[in-house]
Amino acid sequence: MNIIDCDVHPLESAATPLTPFIPANFREALKLGMASSPGTGYANPFGVIRRDANCVDPRAVGRDYLDPHDVRYAVLQPPGMYVSLTRNIDVGSALATAWNDWLVETWLNADKRFLGSVSVNMNDPVAAAAEIRRIGGHEQMVQVLVTGESVHLYGHRAYDAVYDACCEMGLAFAMHPGSEGALDSSTPVGAPSSYFEWHTTLPLTFQAHCVSFLAEGTFERFPKLKVMLVEGGIGWLPSLLWRMDKNFKALRATVPWLKRLPSEYAFDHIRLTTQPIEEPPKDEMLLQMFEMLHAERTLCYSSDFPHWDFDDPRKALPSRMPTALAQRIYHDNAAELYGLSVEDAVPKTEAG
Amino acid sequence: MTDDPTLPLAPLDKAFATIRQQVPRTVRDGARVHVAHVTDIVDGQGLIVSPREGLTVGLFRVDGTYYAVKNVCPHNGAPLCRGSIHATHEPGETRELNPGFAGRILRCPWHGWEFDIVTGKALYDATSRVATYPVDVDDKGQVFVTV
Repeated sequence: MNIIDCDVHPLESAATPLTPFIPANFREALKLGMASSPGTGYANPFGVIRRDANCVDPRAVGRDYLDPHDVRYAVLQPPGMYVSLTRNIDVGSALATAWNDWLVETWLNADKRFLGSVSVNMNDPVAAAAEIRRIGGHEQMVQVLVTGESVHLYGHRAYDAVYDACCEMGLAFAMHPGSEGALDSSTPVGAPSSYFEWHTTLPLTFQAHCVSFLAEGTFERFPKLKVMLVEGGIGWLPSLLWRMDKNFKALRATVPWLKRLPSEYAFDHIRLTTQPIEEPPKDEMLLQMFEMLHAERTLCYSSDFPHWDFDDPRKALPSRMPTALAQRIYHDNAAELYGLSVEDAVPKTEAG
Repeated sequence: MTDDPTLPLAPLDKAFATIRQQVPRTVRDGARVHVAHVTDIVDGQGLIVSPREGLTVGLFRVDGTYYAVKNVCPHNGAPLCRGSIHATHEPGETRELNPGFAGRILRCPWHGWEFDIVTGKALYDATSRVATYPVDVDDKGQVFVTV
């Protein structure tokens, strides 16, 4: 009997490439990663890693980045931040443990200047809390790290066990972008069509989590909790808080557990990193934004080394920044957040 | 944290402490003006009267006692006393809702900011307040405001 098979998959190969069949004016677009699709995420056309640097060898990073830039400590943001996106919950938790042990053995043991982030699987908050208590006491661990993409907004009570563990172990709770769109559309109104558009809108998740933390009363329940927003932009924070404070005056009765303006909680509990620093037309504008967001308390320098949008510590921030403010941003705010000594540090005499 | 008696009150706890004290307006050396009769006033809504040129106030009856509130919201100048009267939620623990002050809370008709009719105290910060005026009622039911 002859049969008909209704499902056979042909593949292209070096001998039978697709390229000649692609219209000529679309070939450059494909090289630029403009064919991003749900399975591939959003590809940076130039690659995410700098062409002239990498971050795979702790000794090389110490020698080539920390030493020449006078970096006293560098807070590592390992790929374990993504484990909460693992669909099998127990596998995700196992990966969190693996990344944490890897970080200690490979990086933290290599150089005391590296500070660690505890990776956790937020889809099993009890296991996450146990992992924080298991490894979070390591002297170089300073924070718990998750992604901006998540199943729930981070003010959700499901995560209280994690925050309880953070407070008990004296660790900040940090979030970092990069996987937006992995679980759902990366914006509330649909999927962007380019890496350019996707990357520009990354702060949306941070704003949503920020409002959630404040409105749900997370900082009333956990007065010791500090939240670090890594690489999520900074310029949006003042307008978001002004909007929230204004709404609070009308809608306080719907969040009666808040005893202060939302902005007051924010400035006490939320910290931000600088990179990728907004680059307005005039430095004065950035300095005004620093004033609006209380940068002397909230803002911490970050480079994102070795990524493509790296901010060089000598170049990224306005050179005309007051010395005292530079000292806060480059060093003291992070030292206070992470419980590092402030007085031992050599004061910077000029920005950068 | 807010239970620690050694810490200063949080702004909203302070606001509600002011409201709970219900400190009556001391009678100032102002003009006592006849503005209404008790039968003119309906429970649950303000009666707008003008005790003098350029000033309007809202008269309210809460649990049988009369109050006068300046008819100007300190936010953007809205006719505050044309707003609606409600209860509110008192400050409390997270996830707990504690209704209170039923019939005492005046919600501005424009932006919804809340004020206590009895004290004039705003419910959104520690210090804001709308002016209130002493009210008295004579044995014939005539209502007077001292402004």
